[in-house]
Amino acid sequence: MTLWTVLLPLVSALVLLAVPSRGLQRAVVLVSTFFTFLLALALPQAQPFETPWIEALGLYWSLDPAGAGGVLVLAAAIVVLPAALYASFAVTERTRGFLSLLLLMQAGLNGIFLAADLVLFYVFWEATLIPSLLLLGIWGREGRRQATLKYLTYAVAGSFIMLVAILALRPLSGAPSFRMEDLLPATQALPFFTQLWLFVAFALAFAVKLPLWPLHAWLPDFHEQNHASGVADAAGTLYKVGGWGFFAFALPLFPEAAVAASPYLLALAAFTAVYAAVIATAQTNLKRLLAYASLSHMGIVGVGVFGLYLAGLNGAVYLLAAQMLSTGGLFLITGMLYARRGSFELSEYGGLAKSAPALAAVTLFTIFASIGVPGLANFPGEFLSLMGAFQSSPLLGAFATLSVIAAGVYGVNLYQRLYQGEAQAGARDLGGLEALILAPLLTAILWFGLFPHPQLARIDVQAQEVMQGVSRVVAAPPSDPSSTELQATLAVGDAQGENE
Amino acid sequence: MTDINWLTLAPPLALLVAASLGVVLGIGFRSTKPTALLSLVGVVVAFVFNILLLNRSGAGEALSSFGLRYLADQGALTFNVIILVGTALTLLVSYSYLQRAELEHAEFYPLILLSATGAMVMAAAGDFITLLLGLEILSLAVYVLSAWRQGVRESEEAGMKYFLLGAFASAFLIYGIALMYGATGHFTYAEVVTVLSAAGFDQPLLATLGGVFILAGLAFKAAFAPFHQWSPDVYTGAPTPVTTYMSVVVKAAAFAALLRVFAGVFPELGAVIPTLFGVLVALTMIVGNVTALVQRSVKRMLAYSAVAHAGYLGLAVLAAAQTGPQVGAGGVQGGLGTQAVIWYLLAYTFMNVGAFAVLTLVTDKNDHGDDLERFAGLGRSRPYLAAVMAIFMLSLAGIPPLAGFIGKILVFQAAISAGYLELAVIGIVTSIVAVVYYFRVVSAMYFREAEYEPQRTRSRATGFALGVAALGTVLLGLLPGWWYGLLNAGGQLLAGF
Repeated sequence: MTLWTVLLPLVSALVLLAVPSRGLQRAVVLVSTFFTFLLALALPQAQPFETPWIEALGLYWSLDPAGAGGVLVLAAAIVVLPAALYASFAVTERTRGFLSLLLLMQAGLNGIFLAADLVLFYVFWEATLIPSLLLLGIWGREGRRQATLKYLTYAVAGSFIMLVAILALRPLSGAPSFRMEDLLPATQALPFFTQLWLFVAFALAFAVKLPLWPLHAWLPDFHEQNHASGVADAAGTLYKVGGWGFFAFALPLFPEAAVAASPYLLALAAFTAVYAAVIATAQTNLKRLLAYASLSHMGIVGVGVFGLYLAGLNGAVYLLAAQMLSTGGLFLITGMLYARRGSFELSEYGGLAKSAPALAAVTLFTIFASIGVPGLANFPGEFLSLMGAFQSSPLLGAFATLSVIAAGVYGVNLYQRLYQGEAQAGARDLGGLEALILAPLLTAILWFGLFPHPQLARIDVQAQEVMQGVSRVVAAPPSDPSSTELQATLAVGDAQGENE
Repeated sequence: MTDINWLTLAPPLALLVAASLGVVLGIGFRSTKPTALLSLVGVVVAFVFNILLLNRSGAGEALSSFGLRYLADQGALTFNVIILVGTALTLLVSYSYLQRAELEHAEFYPLILLSATGAMVMAAAGDFITLLLGLEILSLAVYVLSAWRQGVRESEEAGMKYFLLGAFASAFLIYGIALMYGATGHFTYAEVVTVLSAAGFDQPLLATLGGVFILAGLAFKAAFAPFHQWSPDVYTGAPTPVTTYMSVVVKAAAFAALLRVFAGVFPELGAVIPTLFGVLVALTMIVGNVTALVQRSVKRMLAYSAVAHAGYLGLAVLAAAQTGPQVGAGGVQGGLGTQAVIWYLLAYTFMNVGAFAVLTLVTDKNDHGDDLERFAGLGRSRPYLAAVMAIFMLSLAGIPPLAGFIGKILVFQAAISAGYLELAVIGIVTSIVAVVYYFRVVSAMYFREAEYEPQRTRSRATGFALGVAALGTVLLGLLPGWWYGLLNAGGQLLAGF
C-alpha cells in the first residue's frame, strides 16, 4: 500500500499519455488522485515497504508510512485532487501533458515524504524537479524561459552539493547502508567538524527549496511566470520541501552541527518571514504577492524547525501541511480570477464583492486561513512554530511574530483591493464547478484548523525522535566550546517543551 | 610456445570474418544492404561467442591465449559487451544515414567491424605489444572513416587531423613501451609487475618515465585535457555515425586499456602517475564542461561533453587504481572503481548513441543545421523524437532516475571511498555546469517556437536504435541492479583488473 502511494500517480501519468479523449483523461486523473487520497488516508495503517535496489552500494527502495511524512502526503493529495480537476478545464493547450506532469509531480512528492533511504530521497527530490520545470517552461507565460533557467540553476546547484554530502556519508560514517535506520547511529557519532560541513551541504540544498533568504530569488519569478490557471503554482507550493528536508534528514543526521548552526539559521528564517511579509504588502501583482506571502510562511516554518524545540518542530511540519491547503487554494482562486479579468495586476480589480459575493466569501475564508486566523488550518502550526522560537530565543521569536502583523496587513489589503471599493466592471460569481473544486480545500482547511490533534500526534512521534538526538548532544560533554551556552538554555527549554 | 586458444579469440575473429566477407560482398553487389546485414550478423555472432565465454569464465575458468598476452577474462568480456552494443547501434544508425548523405560505399561497415576488432584486442591485451596492435587496428579504420565525406573540407580535415595527432599519440605510447621494456626487460603486464615489485629493482625512474609516456598515449585516445584538442574538430567534421562510434566504442577501448594498466602495472610505480592523472582528470572535467557551455552547435557541444564524461570515467579509473581488486566474501572482486567505469560506459553508450542518432535525424544530409535554433519547437513538430532526446539529455546531465544519474553516483561514490574527495567535488560542481548546457537543448525543444521548417527525416533502422537506446537509458536508471549485479556476480568477476 505504501508503495502504491508513489506508484499509482506514476502509473496513471503514463496511462494518461495513451488516452486520447479529453473526457477519459479527466476520468483517469480523477480516479488516480482520488485513490491516492484514499491511500494517503490509510497510510497510518500501512506497512513499511523495502526492497534492495543496488545492494552492494547499500541502496534500498525503502518507504516509511508511519512518520510525519504521511501528513504531508495527505495534505498534498487534498490539493492535487481539485487542482488536477481544475487543470483539466482551465488548461486548454496540451492538456494531457499538463495533467500527466502534475501526476508525476505527485508521485515524486509522495516519494520525498515517504523515503527512508537517503539516496532514494535524493532521487525523488531531484526527479520531481523535471515535471516542475516542464510545467513552468512549457505552459508558463512570456518570461518563462528566464524563470525556468533561474529556477533550474538554484535547484540544481543546491542539490548537487547535497549529493556530494550524501555520497560522502557512508564512507565517512561506515554505515552499512543508506537507510535512515542504519545511518542515524553512525552519523551522530561523527566528529563535530565533519558533521558541520555535511550539514552545511545539506542545508544549502534545503535552504534553496525552503526557500530561505537570500536563496529565494527564484520564487517570485517562478510563481509570476507559471500558467495562469494557478495549478502549477499550487503544485509548486507542494514542492517547497526544504523544511521537510531539515526536519527529517539534516537535523536527525547531524544533531551536533544542527545545534551549533541553528541560531544563525533561526535568525535567517525570522528575517525571511518578516522581510517577505513586508515586501508582500507592497506588491501590485496578485501572483507576486502570493509568492511573497508563501515565502513568509516558509520563514515561519524555518523558525519552527531551527528553534530546535519539540513544539516548534511539530508546528513547522504542521504548518508545512496546512499552507499547502491555504496557499494552494489561494493560487487556484487566482486562476479563477484571471479567468474573469485576464490580468494579475491588482489595479485591474476592485469592487467584485457586489457582483461575485460567493467568490468573495471563499477568498476571504482562504485569506484568513493563510494569515493564521485561529480555527483555520495555518493557526496551530504557526502558533507552535513561533512558540518554539520564543523558547529558543525570545528576541528572534518576537521579531518573527512581526510577520504575523504584516500578514494581517497584506491579507486585508489584498481582499480590499480585489473585492471592495469602486467596481470597475462586474464579474461572474462562483460557478458550480468552481465551488466543487474549492469545496475539498475549504473543508480540509477547517478540518486541519479545528482538529489538529490526530495529525499532530503522527508528527509528534517523529519530532520526539529528532529531539532525542538533539538532547543527546546537549547531555554529552560539548566538543565545541561555543555551543555550551546554547546547550544550557536548550536544556531548560527542553523541559518546558516536554511539559507542553 | 604457441599457446593459442581459438575459443578465446572467437568474438574478434567473428567480426574479422564478417568484415572480410563484407568487403567481398561489397564488390559483388551494387547495393550495400547485404554488407550491412552481414555486418550486423557478425556482431550478433560475436556477441553469442562472448556470452558463451562469459559463462565459462564466470564459472572460474581462466581463459587466455598467447601466454597471457591475450586475456579473455571477465573484465575484457564485459568490455566486449559494451563494444558490441555500441557497434551494433552504430551500424543501425549508419544504414539510412549513409543513403541520405549519399555516402554509400560497402566498405563502411567492414571498416567499423575492423575497428571494433581492434577495440576488443585492446580490452583483452595482457601485454604492451598486444595493446599497441589493438590500438593501431582500432585507429587506422577510424582515420579512414572520419574522412569518409570526400571533397568536404571539414571531413577531410577531421581525418587528417586525427591521423596526424593519432600518429603522435602512438609514438608516445611506443616510446613509453620501449622505456618500460628497457627498465624491466618484459612486455607482458604480469611479468613487468613481477620485476617492478621485486626487491632491488634499480630502474624506477626509467619505468616511471615509461609509465608517463604510456599514460599520455592512452590519454590522447580517451580525449583527456590537454590532449583533447583534436576531439571537437574531429567529432564535428566526421560523419555523425562515425562520431557516434568514436565517442562510444573508441572511448570504451581506451578506458579498458587504461583500467588494465592502472589497476595492474601503475600501482607499482609509486604516486607520480596517479597524481599526474588526477590533474588530467580535474582539468578534463573543468575544460570539457566549461567549453561545452559556450557552444551553439549541438554536435560540438556533445563533442565537448564527451570530453567531460571522459573526466568522470577517469575519476573512476583513479579510484579503481586506489582500491584495486578487493578480496570480498565471494572471492576476488573488482573494486568499486572498476565497476563504476564499466557501468558508466554502458550507460554512456546508450545515451550518447541516442543523442547522436537524434542528431542524424535533425540535421540535413551534410550534417549542417545542428544549431540550437534548429531544435526549437521540436517538442511540437516531432514529439517522440523530442521526448527521447529529452531523455538522453537529462540522463547525460545526471538527473535521476535515469542511467546517467546512477553512473554518476557510482563514480563519485567510488572516488570518495578511494579518498579523492577534492576531485569528486570538482566533478559535482562541473556537473552543475553540465546541467545548464544539456537543459538548453530540452528548453529549446519544448519552450521555444520553431523558427525553421523541421527536417522530416525518418528511418526505421535509426528509429529502432533510438528505441533501444532510450529503453536502455531508462531501464538502467530504474533497475541498475541488473547490470550491476552482472558485474558483481560470481566470485571471479573482474578479477583481472
